[in-house]
Amino acid sequence: MATSVGTRAEEGEFLASQRYEGGMRLAARQLVRNRAAATGLVCLALICLCALLAPLLAPYDPVQINLSAKLRPPGDEYLLGTDHFGRDVLSRLLYGARVSLLVGLIVVTFALSIGVPIGLIAGFLGGTIDNVLMRAMDAFLTFPPLLLAVAIVGLMGPDIENVTLALGVVQVPVLARIVRGSTLAVREETYITAMRALGASPLRIVTRHVLRNTLSPIVVQITIVFSAAVIAEASLSFLGLGTQPPQPSWGRDLADARRYMADAPWLFLAPTAALMLAVLSINFVGDGLRDALDPRAWRTRRRRAGRNERAV
Amino acid sequence: MWHYLARRLIQVPLVLVIVTMTIFLIVRATPGDPVQIMLGMQTSPEAVAAIRTEFRLDQPVHMQYLLWVGDILKGDLGRSIRLNRPVAELLAERFPVSLRLAAAAMLFAIAISIPFGIIAALKRNTWIDYVCTGYTVAGFAIPNFALALILIYVFSIRLGWFPITGIGTLEAERGGLLDYLRPYVLPAIALGTLQTAVLTRLLRSSMIDVLSQDYIRTAEAKGLQPPTILAVHALKNAMIPFVTMVAIQFGYLIGIQVTIEYIFAIPGMGFAVLSAVVSRDFPVVQGFTLVVAAFFLFANIVADLLYSLLDPRIRY
Amino acid sequence: MSLLEVVNLRTHFATDRGTVRAVDGVSFTLDDGEVLGLVGESGSGKSVTALSIMRLVREPPGRISADRLVFDGIDLLQAQPQELRALRTARIAIVFQDPMRSLNPVLTIGRQLTETLRRHQGLDAKPAARRAVKLLEMVGIPSAAKRLTAYPHQFSGGMRQRVMIAIALSCNPRILIADEATTALDVTIQAQIVDLVKRLTREMGTAVIWISHDLGLVAGFCDVVNVMYAGRIVEAGPVRDVFQRPSHGYTLGLMSCTPRVDLVGQPLTPIEGLPPNLMEPIRLCPFLPRCRVSVGACASVLPPARAISPGHFASCHADLRAHWRG
Repeated sequence: MATSVGTRAEEGEFLASQRYEGGMRLAARQLVRNRAAATGLVCLALICLCALLAPLLAPYDPVQINLSAKLRPPGDEYLLGTDHFGRDVLSRLLYGARVSLLVGLIVVTFALSIGVPIGLIAGFLGGTIDNVLMRAMDAFLTFPPLLLAVAIVGLMGPDIENVTLALGVVQVPVLARIVRGSTLAVREETYITAMRALGASPLRIVTRHVLRNTLSPIVVQITIVFSAAVIAEASLSFLGLGTQPPQPSWGRDLADARRYMADAPWLFLAPTAALMLAVLSINFVGDGLRDALDPRAWRTRRRRAGRNERAV
Repeated sequence: MWHYLARRLIQVPLVLVIVTMTIFLIVRATPGDPVQIMLGMQTSPEAVAAIRTEFRLDQPVHMQYLLWVGDILKGDLGRSIRLNRPVAELLAERFPVSLRLAAAAMLFAIAISIPFGIIAALKRNTWIDYVCTGYTVAGFAIPNFALALILIYVFSIRLGWFPITGIGTLEAERGGLLDYLRPYVLPAIALGTLQTAVLTRLLRSSMIDVLSQDYIRTAEAKGLQPPTILAVHALKNAMIPFVTMVAIQFGYLIGIQVTIEYIFAIPGMGFAVLSAVVSRDFPVVQGFTLVVAAFFLFANIVADLLYSLLDPRIRY
Repeated sequence: MSLLEVVNLRTHFATDRGTVRAVDGVSFTLDDGEVLGLVGESGSGKSVTALSIMRLVREPPGRISADRLVFDGIDLLQAQPQELRALRTARIAIVFQDPMRSLNPVLTIGRQLTETLRRHQGLDAKPAARRAVKLLEMVGIPSAAKRLTAYPHQFSGGMRQRVMIAIALSCNPRILIADEATTALDVTIQAQIVDLVKRLTREMGTAVIWISHDLGLVAGFCDVVNVMYAGRIVEAGPVRDVFQRPSHGYTLGLMSCTPRVDLVGQPLTPIEGLPPNLMEPIRLCPFLPRCRVSVGACASVLPPARAISPGHFASCHADLRAHWRG
């Protein structure tokens, strides 16, 4: 991935929009940035591993009620303590990772599968279609994301399709814009190339060029979408609208923890830490990716090529 | 500038149409018969039919939509099924509360982000900078409701400095200024931390950009004092994107405050929508979501307007 | 005593890759009312010299040092920040190359003009405004009073530069540094601006350091010229002497590629090669790789400053008299 990105950077084909909504630029020196990205990547991998191997790693059954062991503080028997039903917090955390990561992945897939085609069509065809599509995108940007999600999931039911729809629909506009920006920029130059290239279909050239070009901001945007989805899913579950009990979910566990806050602080600290760790890892990786793919940072990276670079 | 504003305003109806249609469809996509859910099983068929007619649930969907839009244009947002009160009345009660919460959160965000952003820019790449940006990294990563729980645990339960509830209650209204403000502190911090992170980052990068400009060099060549250069020459430029972002974030806040309102029992818009959703109170869901979306749209337009007003290059 | 004494000025920048010696041993003096030209290609260190004199270089990563850097009896290297700020624009002023970027876009022209007046001359708002109007009239801006509330983007390029000149001369400085002040302007406007600066500085008795890569402008305006290359002065002297009797390979190269009205039809000879790497310490003549007239000695020892005629020096081993056109 790094070499192909590097080639692209050297070709100077960073015509895609350089807008990075959310402004997450870490102002650290290049080395620290990459250390952070590497750490983030490792953490993220660990979390994924935990999620995948939850059945193997979890010491207890996360949904098994055991009232005799309820509200135990972290100790030898239960590493992170138990909740009000006597369920092991650690096990619930591990299984909860599954929900968060799964939702994140599905939302990303959804947003990509809708946003990329829209962006391509709008950018390639231009004119009225472009206008109409972008107005529609603006309309969806106007929705306060959480409120819309509350409405959709609350009214239509907490199945995974509704959650995906609710969380994904607000991510589509930004992605569409990014792709559209690339398409517009590339369309100008590749029509000329296409005319010269006998028989080469302009559509194929544009699509290939555009997708290669746009890959970097999209990759960065994916991390933003992912972390937003994780937080949003947790919020919905917290409000009781998302993942339904007894399935473990970090947000849901936080809602339960609320009642026992005074006596059992570990109950809300554990899912909070898990959420923060997950989101931080994704964000660090995203920042590292962005800086690795930014042509301006490219010069400083080349200088340090001798050092142990691991920004993707 | 006025052309730009006119163009933006023309887009508003189109956007609102899409928004209202979406809300409408979502509400109608609810499984189950709303009236049955509302009234339970014991009600007589006549009562059910009466309710159905009153809320137009017996008409085809597109008619319902058009009639609803017609009502809105007349200023009638419908009646809450659950509370049997006009939605507009509920709105008048709840909207100011949400606004106050959002304002409190923004005040907190601005108060922290301005000094942090400026200092981080001035001392970039030093440990001070790292502390400030590190703080913003954490601010992005922690969900506001989790932060709220932590704040409650530390400052309410352990230290007892701030109450958990109290906004909109009579005790708060009757007490002095401090009593009135105290319940706002924890919710404002919980809600405003993400905004703080966004604004600090923005101001920092804006300042760094401005400070590298030639006109700052000119200001130094004039022999002006550093505070003057900072406050007059640099900040005036750097604050333009900051101010517009504040406007945008303010509109955005109203939409995401639901979790904070829920935790702190604040009688605002978000909490109302949540309750309405759970109890299938469609008019409230429709009306409130529309208002929140419209407000967000309005805030965006205000932000654009501010930008064009503050930057002389656009104004003239 | 000279107004400005610069002896062995060195400005180095610490970067990740090494130390960039932007200015590496520059010496000259400037007398009252004298017009000194500083010519050289991009990267020769002309602008950095000017910024170093005013201590406007960011230190770190820059580091300014000199055997002597004295303005009107004041040691600029030892001076405190407050002293330096009191000098800037009040006693030494500078006009930069790009007036659009050098003016603050969100402040009115009036504000940017009266700032210096209020800071250095202690004027109140109204008197400062009146003086600002006079300054704008002095630099030839019509409807000056109305223009005080205008913003930079409402002016044309030439007008903006006039405003910059007004700002620079507002407190009647002893030295005006013009750093490529006309490079970004149209040719016709260039001539107007040069005439303006000439007239005003002569009237006010201001010394000028005119930095440019345009030899024609320098020839028409300056009394003395210093030719810079790779951060050093390679030739210096009265402008007629240097241009008619170039005594350094680089100066010769510059003259050969400058079109001359009296030599129409003669082909121009460009200077081949690339500018030197400023991170290497200088052991031999920095121009050697590109020089067409080098001699044997050039490959073994750094040429010392040689007197060509009274006041005219060049650091060159070669004897270039054969190339003088007269």
